[in-house]
Parts: sequence; structure tokens; C-alpha cells
Amino acid sequence: MTDSPTTAPDAPQPSAPHNTVFTLVALAVLVLTVIPVGVAVFWLAFARGDSPCVMCWEQRIGMLLISLIGLFVLRFGPKPKYVGMAVLIATWGLFMGVRHTAMHAARDIGQGFSLEIFGAHTYTWALFIYWICAFAMGLLLLMTRPAHLSSGVRTLGGLERFAFGAFIVVVAGNAVQAFVSTGPPPFMGQSDPIRFTFNPKYWHWSLEEWKPAKLGLRGRWAVDKPDLALAVADPAAGPLGVRPPLVVKERRPLTLALDGAPTDLAFDDASGQFLVTTAHGIYLTDGTLTRVTRQTVIDGGYSVDLGRLAGAAFLDKGELIAVGENKSYVVLKPNDKANADSNFRYFLSSRDKFDEVSRSRFTTVRARLLYIMSTAYDVASNSVYTLTVPNNLVKRLVVSRFDRRDLTLSEEFVPTLSLDPALALGKDRSLGEYMITGAAIADGRLFAVSASYGTLLVLDLATHRIVAAYTIPGLARPTGLAIKGSDCYIVSDDGTLTVVPRPAGAAAPASRDSTTR
Amino acid sequence: MEFLNLILIGTAALLVLRQPERERLAFRLLVVSTLLMVFLFSVATRTGLLPGVNY
Repeated sequence: MTDSPTTAPDAPQPSAPHNTVFTLVALAVLVLTVIPVGVAVFWLAFARGDSPCVMCWEQRIGMLLISLIGLFVLRFGPKPKYVGMAVLIATWGLFMGVRHTAMHAARDIGQGFSLEIFGAHTYTWALFIYWICAFAMGLLLLMTRPAHLSSGVRTLGGLERFAFGAFIVVVAGNAVQAFVSTGPPPFMGQSDPIRFTFNPKYWHWSLEEWKPAKLGLRGRWAVDKPDLALAVADPAAGPLGVRPPLVVKERRPLTLALDGAPTDLAFDDASGQFLVTTAHGIYLTDGTLTRVTRQTVIDGGYSVDLGRLAGAAFLDKGELIAVGENKSYVVLKPNDKANADSNFRYFLSSRDKFDEVSRSRFTTVRARLLYIMSTAYDVASNSVYTLTVPNNLVKRLVVSRFDRRDLTLSEEFVPTLSLDPALALGKDRSLGEYMITGAAIADGRLFAVSASYGTLLVLDLATHRIVAAYTIPGLARPTGLAIKGSDCYIVSDDGTLTVVPRPAGAAAPASRDSTTR
Repeated sequence: MEFLNLILIGTAALLVLRQPERERLAFRLLVVSTLLMVFLFSVATRTGLLPGVNY
């Protein structure tokens, strides 16, 4: 390769001597050019048929641009504008690496996109390589002296000329691959590229990425928090149309001294107590919901972010669970001799009334990226249930069951309708439109109250089918449901208690209620 | 578009090597190539510009 420097108009100084810094820059260019990018094109693509996706292409090009800046430095010295560009590209490369890796980072072990290299997928290496680039640039800057800055047009040494040659060969190889895989402008890289081949019959050039699409920052993660204000009040507008009404036996305001609006309700048949939650408060009351017998306020910011408590249930062993909208939970046990000092980290008030047993997060599959607003406990299966609520992106009702023993996902399903012809969805309607805010279980059936359409759904847990649906006249913004004997107790966010009979055909046995221990 | 970008990069490298007196042009090609890379990545990720993880 010919090296024929001429004097640059802005830097007529004589060539600077070769020294360690320029040798290291040449080596860095060689390493960055040959190992990730050269191997990617000559081995992964030409030998093994790998094709980079559009994001991989830009990450690969970013590495070549950093190498190109290295060539500028070899020729003209480390001018500030080169260093500035290198830092900008490295930081953008780190961002690209995080953006790309984030798409796959939470998948199961070994899963990913396209090829692995040394046990890690290619996009993961991009993140690591850009980090190394930034690190190496910092080291080289530390070694830079004023003499390097006035290098003028340098005469290239053998290693430096080799770095230029390797760079041009690798760029040429990539240009060939880019022409084959992505085509000439305006075609561009693809999200799911087909494997590389020199046979033009199988070349696929795409304009798919240019198609109009809605701009967004977080994509499918941009899920709004649940908002009762979005609930549709009119029962007749529900997906199941007009449903038979339940008779309201009692409606009265709660007179409990709570620290906020109630967010869920549960009943324990054994102790005759109700459990009421607020955003961060937990209250045990008497059996008439008129007197608080024990209460505390959770420090939701300690360790696991519980968010806003949205579901609650009595468990076995005298324990109770409160679940946040984000499916994080805390398990508590009432204790008259709780150590207030030890409990300082867990509770904001009444630290001597409960002990915290555990605090963690439910992991779901179908219910992933969906919030919940209800929790129920089933004594028969010794399981905790949660139900999802619709959001701004997805309307899907998912029931998740967690084994009580390890509070790990054990079953998940999307309910369907029973074969009863009286139950039918309207055209283009979905059960996912119901906003389930309270749930309780009895006799193998899950009773779920929806803030939207003021409806009580009855779900058979064995068949996963909705077997009945009723409207509750005058019910506004319900947030919790408990079953006490043959009645359903429903609390609303304005503190109103509504009592309706548990629907016929699902009567409780004489002595048990599955929300009890 | 990636093909075009690689042609720009190769041209810049050749200018630096063979015609260093055209450093300004080579550097401009570098800047254009960088902007094209940023633009194409942004086009490809326009429905979710930020990394898709919990925040």
C-alpha cells in the first residue's frame, strides 16, 4: 500500500516520530477492525451465512467509525475534534448496545437472537466492545503529550500502514455484505434478516423499516399505571351486554379511620376479621367493618418497591399477603409482641403489631407487562391468585396462580366463556375489557368484581370458564371484594361498602370460605 | 443505506491515506457517516427509542 503524505494546509509541521502512543493506536485500530468487524463479515457472514439485523449493522458501522478516527489520529495526530467524535460515537455505541441487548436480556437461559460467540450473543459483545473502546480511549488520552497534538501529517510506519490496509479490506468486505444483505439505497437493514448467500436468487432487499410507525420512547413497556377514572360506569355497555342484576342488601359508608382510599378487602372466616388495604396501609377490622383492631403502614420504599397496594388476602398459618399493582408482595403475620425497633425498616407506623415474613415479587408469563388490582387466596389449592387489568396498550384478562409454599407461578390462563348461550360477547368485544379490582374464592369459583361496567364475574377455576355475570346496581369504582358467608362485600374507593348476596348456584358450604385459613 | 454508509467510510479512509491534504473532506465524510448511522438506528428503533426494560 502506497504511503505518499503531502503537507496538510493547516498543519505543515514535520512528521512526528513514531512512538508508543501511535503504535498503541494502530494496534487498537487493528484489534477493533479485525476481531469484531472482520470476523463478523469474513467468518460469520461469508463462511457461516450469518446476516446482521439492522441494529447490528449500525453497531458494526459505529465500530468502524471509531477505527476510522484511529486512522485520522495516526495520520494527523490526536486533534480534539477526533477525540470528541470518538467519544460521541462510543457513547452512542454504548446506548445502541444497551438498547439492543435490552430486547433479549430478560429471556431465559441461552435464548437470544442469532449467533452466539463464546457463550454470548453478538449484540451483547457490541455493548462490551464499546465499553472497551471508551476505556481504551481514556487510557490513550492519559498517555497523550503536547508533542502529539502538533504532529502535522505524519509519515506512516509499517504497522500503521498495515492498520490502514486491514481497515480498507474489512470495510470492502462489509460493503459487499451490505450490498447483498441490505441492497443499495434506499433499501436498508432488516429486523429479521435471512441468511447470507452470494446467490442473487435469495437476496432480499427491504423497505420495511421505512414504513410509517408510531414514535415511542418505551415501546411495549410504556404501560400506564391502572386508573379507576378510566373505568366505564355503564353496566349495559359491558362486553357481555346487559346482565341480570344482583339485589343490593346493604350500602353504607365505611367509618374506619384509614390513611387513604381502600384498595382491597378480604375476610377471614376463622377469626371473623376483615382485612382492608390502602395504598400503603394494612388494617384488620372486626367482623362488621366498623372498628380497626390492628393496623400498620408499610414502608413501600424499603428494598422491594411494592408500589401501590392493590390486592390483599388472608393466607394459611395466620399470615396475610398484600400485593402491589406491580405484582410485588409482602407477607405479614400479626404479632402482639413484635419488636418495634427491629421492624423500623419495614413499617412507617404501628411497628409493634406485625412481623414481616417476606417481601418479594411475583413473576408471570402471560400477565407480564400487565398490572393487577386484585388478589385472592384459595385454601383448596393453597394458592394465591391475581387477575390483570387492561391498560393503554393491551386489554387482556389473565389469571395467575402462585403456589403458597414458594409463591411461584404455578398456573396461568386466559378465561373463556362457558357454553351457556345466555353468556355471549358482543361483536369485537373481549373479557379483557373488564377491570377486575377485587376477587375472592369459594367452592372452586373465583368471584371477581369489575370497576368497569359494575359487573360481578363468576369464574370456574376447574374449567377456566366464566360461568355467570351479574350487574350490581349503583356500584361505582369498586376496589375490593370479600366473601363472608353467603354475601359478597364490596368496597369502593370512596369508602362505600356494598353488600350483595353471593350469586345463586355458587353457595358456600356450611363451614368454609376459601378466603379463610 | 448501510452499503452507502460503508462506501462513505471507505472513501474517507482512502482520502486520509492517499490524499491527506483533503483532511477536511475526509472529516466531513466521517461526520456524515456518523449522522447516518445515528439516523438509521433511530429509524429502526423509532417505536421504542429507549431500551425496553424497567425504569
